Amino acid sequence: MSDLDDFKATYFDECSELMNELEEQFAAIEAGERDADRLNAVFRAIHSIKGGAGAFGFSGLVGFAHAYETLLDYVRDGRVEMTDDVVSLCIRANDIVADHINAAQTGEQLDADYGMEEKQRFDAIARGQSGQSDDEWSGEIIEEFDIEFTPVRVELAVDKHEPEAAPARAAEPDTFDAPPMPIEPGHWEVRFTPYRQLYARANDPLLLFRELAALGEFNVRALLTDIPALSDFEPFGVYCSWEITLFAPDLTEAAIREVFEFVDGDCSIEIVSLGHAVPPPAIAAPDTPAAAAPKAPQHELMALTEDEVAPTPTVAPAAPSPAPVAEVPKADEPGLSFADLASEIVATAPPRPVPVSAPKPPAAPKPAAQAEGGEDGGNRSVGVQSIRVDLDKVDRVVNMVSELVITQSMLTQQMDENLRARYTELVRGLEVLAQTTRGLQDSVMAIRAQPVKSVFSRMPRLVRELATKTGKKIKLETIGENTEIDKTVIEQLSDPLTHMIRNSADHGIESPEKRKAMGKSEIGTIRLSAEQAGGNILIIVEDDGAGINREKVLQLARDKGLVAADMTPTDEQIDQLIFAPGFSTADAVSDISGRGVGMDVVLSNIKKIGGSVHVRSWTGKGSRMTLRLPLTLAVLDVMLVKVGESPYVLPLSSIVETMQCSGANFERVPSGGQVLQVRGEYVQVIDVAQRFSMHSTKQLDDRFVVLCESEGSQKVALVVDDIIGQQQVVIKSLEENFEQVDGIAGGTILGDGNVALIVDVQGLRATHIHQKAA
Amino acid sequence: MEALSLREDNGDKTALAGQNTLQLIAFSIGEQTYGVEITTVREIRAWNGATPLPNTREFVRGVINLRGTIVPIFDLRARFGDGQTSPTKNHVVVVMSVGDKWVGILVDAVSDILTVSRDDIHNVPEGNAIDTELLNGIVTHDSRMVGLIDLHSVVSGAKLDA
Repeated sequence: MSDLDDFKATYFDECSELMNELEEQFAAIEAGERDADRLNAVFRAIHSIKGGAGAFGFSGLVGFAHAYETLLDYVRDGRVEMTDDVVSLCIRANDIVADHINAAQTGEQLDADYGMEEKQRFDAIARGQSGQSDDEWSGEIIEEFDIEFTPVRVELAVDKHEPEAAPARAAEPDTFDAPPMPIEPGHWEVRFTPYRQLYARANDPLLLFRELAALGEFNVRALLTDIPALSDFEPFGVYCSWEITLFAPDLTEAAIREVFEFVDGDCSIEIVSLGHAVPPPAIAAPDTPAAAAPKAPQHELMALTEDEVAPTPTVAPAAPSPAPVAEVPKADEPGLSFADLASEIVATAPPRPVPVSAPKPPAAPKPAAQAEGGEDGGNRSVGVQSIRVDLDKVDRVVNMVSELVITQSMLTQQMDENLRARYTELVRGLEVLAQTTRGLQDSVMAIRAQPVKSVFSRMPRLVRELATKTGKKIKLETIGENTEIDKTVIEQLSDPLTHMIRNSADHGIESPEKRKAMGKSEIGTIRLSAEQAGGNILIIVEDDGAGINREKVLQLARDKGLVAADMTPTDEQIDQLIFAPGFSTADAVSDISGRGVGMDVVLSNIKKIGGSVHVRSWTGKGSRMTLRLPLTLAVLDVMLVKVGESPYVLPLSSIVETMQCSGANFERVPSGGQVLQVRGEYVQVIDVAQRFSMHSTKQLDDRFVVLCESEGSQKVALVVDDIIGQQQVVIKSLEENFEQVDGIAGGTILGDGNVALIVDVQGLRATHIHQKAA
Repeated sequence: MEALSLREDNGDKTALAGQNTLQLIAFSIGEQTYGVEITTVREIRAWNGATPLPNTREFVRGVINLRGTIVPIFDLRARFGDGQTSPTKNHVVVVMSVGDKWVGILVDAVSDILTVSRDDIHNVPEGNAIDTELLNGIVTHDSRMVGLIDLHSVVSGAKLDA
């Protein structure tokens, strides 16, 4: 059933948003901000997760979320104090909820007792604080629901009235046992009579009951009196209805109706508040049209409460204007608006009380529901107006805009001095076009941009898990989580970040004893930060652990043949070795990290999206890994150069300066390589033609040097044959139809339809080391 | 017309071809004829240059722009170890799908569409590893030998070992 799958997909989307929200709220709560708004937000999130889970029948999740919600509810109204213990229990609970969601999403089965311990702790806390009246109201109630309902009355602890389930009275289908006395507010009786089509549409009353049970104290009773003799039994007939008693202090009718929203029209629901001092019998005479209504399939008869009807009882059977009354029960065709009808009636018979007795317009519960939502969701940010758009649609726009940008830059290139002089208007037009396309591009990119928060917020959980598994004490600090990056970059970021943090936690941070011995704080810190630097985003993972064990790394690299025995790499080069495939320094393979896949995954993932990784390490003090990512994936500002006969492009963001070779100061070093002296600094020189085994026909003096900054502010001088100009290009993948090529970050299509390759500056330096090693 | 698309008429001919027969696109390299199954061929276009890829073996001629995607071009002659083709405008690139990737094969000319019976496919004689690696089988058509290209092997091993 694809519809259901769609709903599920939406639900899981929402869940991940809600989980992010939870992480965020708890980060603040943990930091000491324990105000009601935060609690409410948490409560809302858990409630929404539970609600959806109920609808899809994820019973494990419902059960756990319910117990959690109960605790939160108690915290919210002050019955349970928000101690640190409770907070950490809640944080643990969030993880369990996330696991449940994952399990539901992937269809895997969690152990039946997964989270049971926490659940029991919820119950214990909730029960411990809530006094004696809550005996039957706790997590276990959910389990009871899995058993068949039996029409047995359970005494409600707070009950003062006796809603007797006298079979004799239940035999009168449309009467309600109403309380003879006014009692305290918040008591509701719901009569739920499903129609055949409710089952035909695959609805399950059990789910509804679970929802109701979540609202407050709850008691359900099946009315089995309509069950005919077996001989008259119709296979698809519906013979059972239920009476439900609900109690919760501030329960509203709207909240109850919300539960039945999905089955609207497929059942008859009567809701009577027992908590008001109304004249008791809201009984419709059996022969009035209104009373007959429950049998009319599409119709909902609602017993009206005080809010809607003034002192008048439900339906006035003796209404003096018969015509309108006769209209009322017929008003069950979906197209007919009750409100219209009602106003019509008012117009015809203004002084009568009759009109008010018209069934409540279907629209009415909505505002009420909103009011209710407003009450517990008072601080929902109203200001943000957003729409959900399919990402494909956005991508199409992005692609078109990218192509437009290219075309525009191609047009500009066509303008030579001659044309410029002759067609000044055309030139001006092109300039405006350039500006507009640039603006268009920025706006489209802004649509795709998202704060990195969505990835960062998954990390605290990871760190907690790692801390538990390794027995280390680790604190995670996040900075700059509102930095925005393109959505596709963000999606690609999650795995590398996970690996990097794992690496820091597993290899970087030492055990508490070791840290103490070294005079450090027992608690290790991992700092995760994001910042924008020009056209790049820098994501930095820092830890104050032991740093990279260079001896071990070098030894391993030699053992694995990654570094030749006679080579002595610099410290920095050794550090970068951890990104080599199959490399791991962990003594034992743990289930956290150490299988040697990991850091090379980081590198390849980051390269795939046009970024680069750099690591620096200080022995005994910690290490820092920097991810440099492009702001956007789609369009790149580049410098177009020529090497041999082929065009190459260099990302503009990495270029520091360009100069002619004739004016450059080259020096030789013993290895036979060259270095370039730039303002007192010596920089490694890479002849791109030579590196790419291309034939360069030009004399050295006619060639150009492009000074690039690669990671770690190490500069490198690339020698190219010619500099053609600057332009914007759309990055195309080489791997889509081929494979990754060393020294090449990707390809792009120039205005003339030819392919130009994007030089991977960082990669060029890396291959340099490898080639020496070989 | 730079490109001649064969996709439209695929359907009919395949239908005609029936269960036990195979339709091949035959192309030549020098005097020798080779073939690939017609269903893998996406497009045939004239050689129009390619951007060379550094750090790859000599049989990788470079990449071209095929309506916005980058497609690598393999020189079949060079793949067979007979040295690089010096392509002219008359040389032909056969674009095919191998797995989920599209690749172009540079050949001298496309000669024919052949229908052969599966029963007529002979094994490649053992002896030379290059033959058995790059060919799936051999068929005879009009008393000519047609080598069936194993596309997967042809496009593998493109990277230069550092």
